[in-house]
Amino acid sequence: MVSPAIALAFLPLLLTLIIRYRYFFVLLYRAVLVRIWKDCVTGLSREERAFQYVLTHSTPGDPDSILDAFDVWCSKVEFISNIGPKKGKILDRLLLEHSPLTVLELGSHCGYSTVRIARSLPLGARLYSIEMDQRNAAIAEKIIRLAGFDDDTVELIVNPSDEVIPRLRSDYNLDRLDFVFMDHWKKCYLPDLQMLEGSGLLGKGSIILADNVLFPGAPKFLRYIRKSGLYEWKIHRATLEYSKGIRDGMAELVYQGIK
Amino acid sequence: MGGEEKEIQDYDRKMPRDSLITSENDRRKRGEEEQAPATSSKSAKTRKNIKNEKTRKMKEEGEEEGEDEERNGKGKKKHGSAEKDKKNRKGGKGKEKVQEVKKKKKKVETSSEQETSEEDDEEDKEEKEVRPECLSPEELEKLKEAVDERKKLIQALRGKPWPMKTKLVTLQESQEFVEKYEGALGKGKGRKLYAYKVMMTKKWMKFQRDFENFKTACIPWEMKIKEIESHFGSSVASYFIFLRWMYGVNMILFGLTFGLVMVPEALMGRPYGSIPRKTVPRAEESSAMDFAVLWDFGGYAQYSVLFYGFYNNQRAIGWLKFRMPLSYFLVGVGTVAYSYMVVIRTMARNANESGVGDDNSFNFSWKTFTSWDYLIGNAETADNKFASITTSFKEAILEEQESRKDDNIHLTRFLRVLANFLVLCCLAGSGYLIYFVVRRSQKFALDGLENHTWWERNEVNMVMSLLGMFCPMLFDVISALENYHPRVALQWQLGRIFALFLGNLYTFIIALMDEINIKREEEKIVKFNITTWEASLYNGTVSGNSTAPPNTIHPADVPRGPCWETMVGQEFVRLIISDTMTTYITLLIGDFLRAVLVRFLNYCWCWDLEAGFPSYSEFDVSGNVLGLIFNQGMIWMGAFYAPCLPALNLLRLHVSMYLQCWAVMCCNVPQERVFKASGSNNFYMAMLLVILFLSTLPAIYTIVTIPPSFDCGPFSGKNRMFDVIQETLESDFPAWFGKAFSYASNPGLVLPFILLMVLAIYYLQSTSKSYREANMDLKKKLQTQNEENKKKNKQAALKAQMDLEEARQAAEQQKHNNTSNEEAADVEENSDSGQRMHHTKNERNNAPPAGDRRRQQSATRAPVPRNYHQGNHPTPGYLPGFPQQSEPRMHRVPSLQRH
Repeated sequence: MVSPAIALAFLPLLLTLIIRYRYFFVLLYRAVLVRIWKDCVTGLSREERAFQYVLTHSTPGDPDSILDAFDVWCSKVEFISNIGPKKGKILDRLLLEHSPLTVLELGSHCGYSTVRIARSLPLGARLYSIEMDQRNAAIAEKIIRLAGFDDDTVELIVNPSDEVIPRLRSDYNLDRLDFVFMDHWKKCYLPDLQMLEGSGLLGKGSIILADNVLFPGAPKFLRYIRKSGLYEWKIHRATLEYSKGIRDGMAELVYQGIK
Repeated sequence: MGGEEKEIQDYDRKMPRDSLITSENDRRKRGEEEQAPATSSKSAKTRKNIKNEKTRKMKEEGEEEGEDEERNGKGKKKHGSAEKDKKNRKGGKGKEKVQEVKKKKKKVETSSEQETSEEDDEEDKEEKEVRPECLSPEELEKLKEAVDERKKLIQALRGKPWPMKTKLVTLQESQEFVEKYEGALGKGKGRKLYAYKVMMTKKWMKFQRDFENFKTACIPWEMKIKEIESHFGSSVASYFIFLRWMYGVNMILFGLTFGLVMVPEALMGRPYGSIPRKTVPRAEESSAMDFAVLWDFGGYAQYSVLFYGFYNNQRAIGWLKFRMPLSYFLVGVGTVAYSYMVVIRTMARNANESGVGDDNSFNFSWKTFTSWDYLIGNAETADNKFASITTSFKEAILEEQESRKDDNIHLTRFLRVLANFLVLCCLAGSGYLIYFVVRRSQKFALDGLENHTWWERNEVNMVMSLLGMFCPMLFDVISALENYHPRVALQWQLGRIFALFLGNLYTFIIALMDEINIKREEEKIVKFNITTWEASLYNGTVSGNSTAPPNTIHPADVPRGPCWETMVGQEFVRLIISDTMTTYITLLIGDFLRAVLVRFLNYCWCWDLEAGFPSYSEFDVSGNVLGLIFNQGMIWMGAFYAPCLPALNLLRLHVSMYLQCWAVMCCNVPQERVFKASGSNNFYMAMLLVILFLSTLPAIYTIVTIPPSFDCGPFSGKNRMFDVIQETLESDFPAWFGKAFSYASNPGLVLPFILLMVLAIYYLQSTSKSYREANMDLKKKLQTQNEENKKKNKQAALKAQMDLEEARQAAEQQKHNNTSNEEAADVEENSDSGQRMHHTKNERNNAPPAGDRRRQQSATRAPVPRNYHQGNHPTPGYLPGFPQQSEPRMHRVPSLQRH
């Protein structure tokens, strides 16, 4: 039997852990516990709840208000790992700087980042958004239409990314991607990147932006880009979306090709 | 790897001194006309100096001959080191680069060898050719002059504004010349002696070199520490150096206690079982050999030389008549005295080393030129260091910017106060917890330890170790509130941990004091009981069979007092053991297990374990140093009552040296903020001194105020422990000595002596202060002088430029006159830049060879200073391809000359 005094001596450790990792606990609570609870109570999925909120709290046809509504919902009500306003600014800046004409988005989830990208695209640009999950894709579709983007600007492809990427050239008549935004499964970052390289869609100067490379993190992806030498890369350090204390980063890769 | 780089650094530092010595040597030689025997000792001395400077360098070099070669070698080496310097500046810190440099150096060495051997031959030939006897006086005079000139040249070579290559060649040539003819000027008899001297010097040097190598090889763990240094920077290495130093100190302490107390008692003292204090009591006999009991240092371990209680109060033991109690006392005092001495001496030495340099005035240039840690040999650490330097720059700039404005000072203040309040709460809580636990353990002890579980028996140590481990973490978290600069934060952190450890230790001691008092109460009762017991025994034997011998009672059956000294010793030993265990277990779990988990779970985990949340651990320098210091404090405190403590500590340090070296290399990552440990060594020492003082206080208090137990230990039966001195003085020394001692210890004599000492300290203090001030003044003077010089040089350069300009104008004019081109001359007079532009244009048109032009110029006009025309300045402006002759270039020339 351990005496109570020894147990008390562990109190500082407990306090330390709680204080140091408080953001993770908050995240756990918001992203997992609240979600399960709400799922049980409402019978709707998280994305559907978000859509309902956005529908009631934003002006149709105005992408900014839709994004704002999303941000409010994600930071105040529940948690969805969108790109968030802070990292979104980096994304906006990159898009404005380079004004890409062909953009590929891997993982549109419920359409937040799709709207975000689409609103800062130049005229005549086209965004291909790939989403694996059927239900999420339906919601993303609705959100995109709500924001006022039509089929000419945004094309939503409902399929796993590893199936779509090899067929991009043949099915969608693409010969070069100017900008690729990755925000799907972190495990798929590396295989998809390699697939993109293999398909020959990346040209010199193509930009690849990968979200969440530090948390939850894509170590293999980072290791690969460090080693491969095909890219000029840097990591934009930021914090996790809708949370202050968790460090995260976006990797910006500029394809250089084989020298 | 690190060693080599350090060498380079060292050598770079030494280079100017080396050459200084050379010049001194030359000067000395110039005056003499081969008076070898008279100066041999002097020159040997000088040479030794040179050697000391260079022995490290020479280690790698092959054979090197004689004095002349040494000089040549020096020139070469200068070259080599210059190359190295360049390499360093380029940022070549990789392995290959240094190896390359090394190779190059070797090459240089070998080439110099060849040359010198050739030169030897030449010299022989020369000898035959130029016999000094055959020379006429005029020729001799001439030769002497030439030699003198060469010597002057060598001396002034450093200041010459030539390319390095020219300098080296000139140096070599002149040195050869001097070597050759200086000897020739002497008489025939001196030469042989000279040769003999040179040979002996060679031998002596070789021996010294070998000896130096041997000495380096003898430094324990040197390579290990160097390796760590190269991977983790000097801050981590400083911990290990400190650990090694501690090991050395403990070695001495161990030698004292082991050699003068434990071994004599074990060899010459009464054997185990001869008297009650050396026997396990009957009640404990059955369990005395159990591992659990031995692990707690009870049973047979308690009744052995390891603890105070085992020692007998017999005045002299064995055939040597070894004064055991006296030796015990003196060793106890000696260990403390030695520790004080060694700590203070090291502190003084460190202070000497780091005394110069002010950190305030050239903050940014210090940062620029001195922040690199040249001992780093690992790419990752180098990256970290790079990053940390960058951040320090950013921080410094921000600091400079924000030194005036301060936003929301009230919030910051409030947060700081809050943080300190929380820390105080934490400290108080931990202190109370320890106090509570110690009191509880006393209750358990009264009940009898056998009735309680292992947890309850080891509660005190466990709680102390756990608190010592976890509270610093909590402090670290709390200190995030304060928003201090990291350096300041580190100091606060150290201070708080120090306070925590100290509080814990003193709580422990206070509780121990309580326990001592309880034991002494107990002792009184036991003493009374024993007298009655003895009386009854006596009565019993008298009333019973009177012939029965009174010594039939086995010593194990004799009742005895509780011997508080052994109890104190046991407590300390247990504390040390549990502390060591905790350290090792933390190391294994916190570092090793964590590293293994992170490494291998990373393959199948949903986030990046290595870069993300658990990551690998960093080496906690401050915590480890403090742990070491407090451990040492406990040793100092407890060593008097448990002579085995230094031995245990030695063992612990030895093991932790290897274990921590392994753990650091195996499972730690370099710190994110690699900081240099330049000034920290003395900080450690200062803490050690404080701890030494604080830990000797209770030990001295117990020795002075509490009477020793009546039936155990070397001082049993005495009123106070230090009575042993009195006793020795009375019985072992002649009467006059005792008298003298009593006079000397008279307060009337002691007080003035102390007063004198205080005065002396005050005097020394004030002198050192005034020296420091004088130093500062000199520094300031030097600085202003420098500035003045710079100004003067600037002016001179400007003037020279103007002269040059004028001269050129004159030349131009002449030429224009020659070519009858007057309009151009008019334009020149109008504006300077226009003139230059035009001038270059002209030059392009004319395009004469540069040298030609120059000659022409010097032929045509006078007022231009000579030195600007004699190859010192490459005169880029004259070349047709380089129209812009920039002004800064002109400014730099004089400063070059100045050096």
